[in-house]
Amino acid sequence: MSDVRDTLVIARRELAERVQSKWFVAITLLGPIGMVALVIIPSLLIGNPAGTRIEIIDQTCPAEGRCPALHDRKGALATPLSEALALAQWKPVIIAADTPEQVEMDRIRDKQINGFVTIPEDALGAGVIVYRGDNGSSPVVRETLRLLASQLVQAERGRRAQISPDKLASIIQPVAVESRQTNGKNEAASGQASFFLGYALAYILFLVITIYAVAVMRSVVQEKTSRVMELMVATVKPRSLMAGKILGVGGAGLIQVAIWLTIGALTLAYREQILGLFGASGGGSGLPSLSAGEVVVALLYFVLGYFFYASIYAAVGAMVSSEQDTQQVQLPVTLLLVVGIVSVTAVSGDPRGFTAAVMTTVPFWSPLLMPMRILLGGASAGEVALSLVVLAVATVLVASAAARIYRVGVLMYGKRPSPRELLRWLRY
Amino acid sequence: MSHALVVRGLIKKFGSHVAVDDISFEVPRGVVYGILGPNGAGKSTTLRMINDIFAPDAGEIVVLDGFRPGPEAAARIGYLPEERGLYPKMKVGDMVAFIAELRGLTRGDARHKAAVWLDRLGLGQWAKNKVADLSKGMQQKVQFATALIHEPELVILDEPWSGLDPINAEVLRDAVEEIRASGRTVLFSTHQMEQAEKLVDHVCIIARGKKLLDGKLKDIQRREAAEGLVSLGFGDAAARVAAQAVLADRSLVAAGAAALVEPADGGADREVKLADGATAQRLLAALVTAGVTLRRFEVVVPSLHKIFVDRVGASATVAERRPEAS
Repeated sequence: MSDVRDTLVIARRELAERVQSKWFVAITLLGPIGMVALVIIPSLLIGNPAGTRIEIIDQTCPAEGRCPALHDRKGALATPLSEALALAQWKPVIIAADTPEQVEMDRIRDKQINGFVTIPEDALGAGVIVYRGDNGSSPVVRETLRLLASQLVQAERGRRAQISPDKLASIIQPVAVESRQTNGKNEAASGQASFFLGYALAYILFLVITIYAVAVMRSVVQEKTSRVMELMVATVKPRSLMAGKILGVGGAGLIQVAIWLTIGALTLAYREQILGLFGASGGGSGLPSLSAGEVVVALLYFVLGYFFYASIYAAVGAMVSSEQDTQQVQLPVTLLLVVGIVSVTAVSGDPRGFTAAVMTTVPFWSPLLMPMRILLGGASAGEVALSLVVLAVATVLVASAAARIYRVGVLMYGKRPSPRELLRWLRY
Repeated sequence: MSHALVVRGLIKKFGSHVAVDDISFEVPRGVVYGILGPNGAGKSTTLRMINDIFAPDAGEIVVLDGFRPGPEAAARIGYLPEERGLYPKMKVGDMVAFIAELRGLTRGDARHKAAVWLDRLGLGQWAKNKVADLSKGMQQKVQFATALIHEPELVILDEPWSGLDPINAEVLRDAVEEIRASGRTVLFSTHQMEQAEKLVDHVCIIARGKKLLDGKLKDIQRREAAEGLVSLGFGDAAARVAAQAVLADRSLVAAGAAALVEPADGGADREVKLADGATAQRLLAALVTAGVTLRRFEVVVPSLHKIFVDRVGASATVAERRPEAS
């Protein structure tokens, strides 16, 4: 009983020390600003092409077989393109078909226009329509022009082939192809959205583990460097000290993640409004919603995964005596995590395959990969249960091994233990 | 007799190095007990085993007549570790209350007592400051408060004087006296014999992991005195000459350099070691018969420092490697 009480008292101290620190408050609040920035900055970077001053040089022939000299030519595409661009709030101007390119380049340089589009005489055949401008690298500008120009060229081709506009529309109508993720029983909303969500889950867990499990390790090392360790192990069992530390740091992490997720969800829900504040627009398909069961399972993997890795990192902290030493010793653990995150594509590519089954059962990777595999419908209930049991048992084993290493290691200063000494510690 | 601590046949090895080699001693209740030894003698290792930091390889420890090292014993022990350290970012008051709570006090009680103890140590106005804001001396006091706040029956202090200035050393001695006066027990380790001598009732001297002697300091000193040093102060120069013949008598005074010990204090002209079988009484009679005027004739009670150096030997005082690093 006193062990549990000690653990809770220590957890409370760890939690309070973290939550009260200015860094914690700053990062908790700045994190969401970063998330909002992630949504907004791409839109801002893409830029809003509305108001683009564009000049149109159209060298196509106004009708088949009737092609005046370039100087007098009024192309077939300039007027409809100009109208369509005006609808998209651009500022198009049609200029003479024989305007030399150099004149327009000078106008761009003098900032009189943003750019100009050259429609060559053979544009209705194989000719290439070229846009040159100071926003020429913007995907939005490129896509807008590509879309409008191809529609207009196709319409003009149809007209010349004497195909009625209705008929033409039915011919050039895009063909819809979709791929859906399913395991034969139920069907995920869309392959891409499920993958995105699973990927996000894997990355969030990876981040939470690297931030907080590493925080446990640093906290152990700091107890050594501040020499408070002897007082602590004389007062409580090292096991309670380690458990309290993992709980307290994890609690701080949970608070932070909960705040982030709330703000993140709000940001996604009110994305349009927030973007509006910055004068940007953006869309994107909605994410698939999660069932309550999936949320519970994902949380289970979160918690177990954190305990699993936090125990390992606590043991790493107990083995070293300074922050510098941690770099080397934690490398194998970090590599394990990286292997997990790199395998995300392997699992999502074939959620029911052998690799996926193995990777989501091995406790080093199951917390990262299994939530995604479940979302993609690749795991049966039995596989999930097996993976959870393996992870739970492994967590208990790792935690008790870590507690042994911790017990012996916390008072070691100076030299790092060799693997053989480490084995001896485990037998104490 | 009731004991604050009984240690029997304690052994602790680190690899091939035997840090504590079959040490036994008993600490009666209500005394101040000093474990004395040079650096690396095994003092801290012994205290750590009593505090359940290390498990002994062999031997037995009984705390306060019935507890093994562990949580139950910890609630009754106050411990000032050799490694001084506190959580630097914690507020001073919270730090003391935190340890008190882990030593078994309720949260409210811990907070209340922390305030009382900090006031008592003159740190009341610092309670809301972070530990890191305090000077080293003040941090020592806070550390001391963490060892005493739960009013333990047994207070264990590992090298309590290391790093203390003379004024705080005095404060610490007063605190130890106070604990003894309240009927509780203090066990400390040190290699500073001057500090120990002013306080201890009982001592245990260890070196290289082995016990050399233990018991009441007074008994030990009496025993050592019987083997005898006599301190002489001559009345005048003539007396000094008159004494030469008596001091040359090998049946009274031991031969060699040992007989001509440098006087330890200013009042004496000469310190001599009695020959085997001789008594101070016979030496005095011989001197008086020879007509030597004596200003002073004193059977020297050996200082703890002298006993320590005699027993441990100069070579052993060289610091050995730290057992923990092995």
